[in-house]
Amino acid sequence: MTDLATPVVEPTPPTPFAPADEAVLRLALVGNPNTGKTTLFNALTGLRQRVGNFAGVTVERVEGFFRTASGRRVACLDLPGSYSLSASSPDEQIALEVLLGRARDGWRPDVIVVVADAAHLERNLFLASQVIELGVPVVLALNQMDAAEDQGISIDVPELIDALGVPVVPLVAKRGQGIDALGRACEIAVTLPPPSRQFSLPTAATELLAPVVARLESAGLSTSAAQLEALRLLSVQHLEPHVADVDGLEELRKTAAVTLGQIGLAPQRLESDARYGWIGEVMARAVVTKEQEGRSFSDRIDAIALHRVIGPAVFIALMAIVFQSVFTWAAPMQDAIEGLIAALGSQVGTLLPEGDLRSLVVDGIFAGVGGVLVFLPQISILFLVIGILEDSGYMARAAFLMDRVMRRVGLHGRSFIPMLSGYACAVPGIMATRVIENRQDRLATMMVVPLMSCSARLPVYTLLIGTFIPASTLPFGFGLQGLTLLGMYLLGTLTALAVAAVFKRTLLKGPVRPMILELPAYRWPSVRTLGVTVWQRAMLFVRRAGTVIMALSIVLWAMATYPRTEVDASLPDVTQAEQQLEASTLGRVGKIIEPVVRPLGYDWKIGVSIAASFAAREVFVSTMGTIYGVGSDEDNVQALGDRLRAERDPITGEPVYTTLVAMGLMVFYVFALMCMSTTAITVREAGGGRIGWGWAAIQFGYMLVLAYGAAWIVYAGGRALGWG
Amino acid sequence: MSISVSLPVLPTASSTATTSVDGLLEAARPCTLSQCRPGSRATVIGLDDCGSDEACRLRALGLCEGTAVSVIDARHAMVLDVRGTRLALGSALTAGITVQPLPARSARR
Repeated sequence: MTDLATPVVEPTPPTPFAPADEAVLRLALVGNPNTGKTTLFNALTGLRQRVGNFAGVTVERVEGFFRTASGRRVACLDLPGSYSLSASSPDEQIALEVLLGRARDGWRPDVIVVVADAAHLERNLFLASQVIELGVPVVLALNQMDAAEDQGISIDVPELIDALGVPVVPLVAKRGQGIDALGRACEIAVTLPPPSRQFSLPTAATELLAPVVARLESAGLSTSAAQLEALRLLSVQHLEPHVADVDGLEELRKTAAVTLGQIGLAPQRLESDARYGWIGEVMARAVVTKEQEGRSFSDRIDAIALHRVIGPAVFIALMAIVFQSVFTWAAPMQDAIEGLIAALGSQVGTLLPEGDLRSLVVDGIFAGVGGVLVFLPQISILFLVIGILEDSGYMARAAFLMDRVMRRVGLHGRSFIPMLSGYACAVPGIMATRVIENRQDRLATMMVVPLMSCSARLPVYTLLIGTFIPASTLPFGFGLQGLTLLGMYLLGTLTALAVAAVFKRTLLKGPVRPMILELPAYRWPSVRTLGVTVWQRAMLFVRRAGTVIMALSIVLWAMATYPRTEVDASLPDVTQAEQQLEASTLGRVGKIIEPVVRPLGYDWKIGVSIAASFAAREVFVSTMGTIYGVGSDEDNVQALGDRLRAERDPITGEPVYTTLVAMGLMVFYVFALMCMSTTAITVREAGGGRIGWGWAAIQFGYMLVLAYGAAWIVYAGGRALGWG
Repeated sequence: MSISVSLPVLPTASSTATTSVDGLLEAARPCTLSQCRPGSRATVIGLDDCGSDEACRLRALGLCEGTAVSVIDARHAMVLDVRGTRLALGSALTAGITVQPLPARSARR
């Protein structure tokens, strides 16, 4: 197995009972959403996990490793949550291909564990009944037994084993109960004959489906899997990719469906009728539910959380906490990280000789590392908060409450959290789009998240507002400066909604699917699962986006440093730095783009600062500081402001920075995607490779056009009206 | 806030005779799910007007022909009890599901 040759830390020492060359058991974990599948996966594998993508698609592939109590090595694949094997989303399509042994990377499961929620067994058995027919050994993991007992549901496990024909293991995954038994059950299951369909269709249906089954068998499916697929394909609209190229299948399927309809068996409902009919019998045999007094715990919470008046208030309060936590709680940690990296950098710097090497290490490499690590607090906190909302069950309620509003722009409820996160930082916001199942909606949300004014724009807004907007007080205690800031946030937000609507009607056109949303029972999130999720997201960011940010950081350093120029050593340091920057590649770029930014009222100095700020928007302020010879420290913002007000055009003697130019510049930064970290994460989250770069280019391009256009309208329009 | 404000009542003939008083739906005629009131129960008769893809998803979720559902909440969208799970469905779907109202087991609200 090639899977063994992975750099995964394996803390468990090999047990003496396991022969060294023993084959790895390949286990696929499948189940409905909200069954605690990921909690079980984490309980089994701990941090011995690898996160990647399935070959050729953007669906995330998480594989983990563990040893059973007897020492057998197991490679465990966590498949995306699915309600059925009918592939109505890319996630479900992948799950189906892997389970049928048709995954493009050739991974075939030796045993499939179906994770079922014991408290909602009836619905969960639909997927289980399909998986049982795949012709692969199956174990049913009956999770959340504690919640079922609390609700007065008792399950007769031996009876269930008899009814399903597969091993059944009761579990409480979040407390680690039943994990060892599950491992043993998997080892036993692979020695048993594979399970098969436990009910029979009406004779007429079996006969009519026989040609379809035969064709699927000749295409390489086992008899059992062919029977499953023949029945399943009656209810779907189009053949999915994995069977689309089977010769003549479509005609056979159509013929069978038409004839079934003629004899009064509606083909679309044949599968659900048969399965739920059988499930009803299984439930009657194995499950006893005590009628509960009054409403359940979850329904009582929902009476508040979904209340017409209180519900939205609770929602707004929770979102305020999300926003606050990402925006402010992360700040001290970020400062600490930046301080630590800078201190380390200068420490290392003193060990190196004065010159380019030291500059590369301190201003290029260490700045790059800092630029990556500084995002970790925000990413960790955001994913912690999202994890709590998701695992507690509230996220589905939030999506329900926001669905109507977001639907107006063609998105749906789940787009809300990523967009809100965008106020703090677009990077975690874009990573948070993973909660959106539909790819079109996910991409549309990703495209507009950077329009939400993030915290990195704040230094730019602060400098320009503080310098050029008078601190006059308006009625009701509003300040003009504060209102301007609010205006910038509103401008970004409204544009984001409008642009999302445009994307959904053009490039990402697709039907807005009506809402079908399960509202899972509320429960306490598992600390362990939250921890693993946050860790995974953080590491994924460092590995994938971190490398790009690092590389771009060094490129920008080189552009701002070379070619070297002779500067008069007798001049003050800040003046030397100014002249050096003017002569560098970046400075020349600024001169070259000056004609382009001229219509916006900018000179080459602003051009350079804008170009340099592609590293990150806040670099605009420090670059301006360098150019205007006040130094690049943050403390010099006041001095920089004074300097900007005093700046005159060398030819006309007019002030360079009028309030109009400043307003235009702020509007430019509301729209422009001046952030290489965002670009890096978009590449990764939009699918990586050419697809990813394509979407990142579209994102950068449309935002630049928007920024230029809006800044021009402000400047040229303002001048036409005679405002400066 | 009034509850009935946002409910778009379809002007079909069957809507007039039925949904007057909760729990008193004896001999009610089939109607769409969207016309059912919170607290009422109904048996699904058909999913024909929801679109085939959505109908396929609904059936997998246990909302298929013959299933009895309870309406927990009804506004622009509905929250339903389907086989012990809570499903929220958009108005486009609830208007496409035909049901036979059942006498209420117990008024929940």
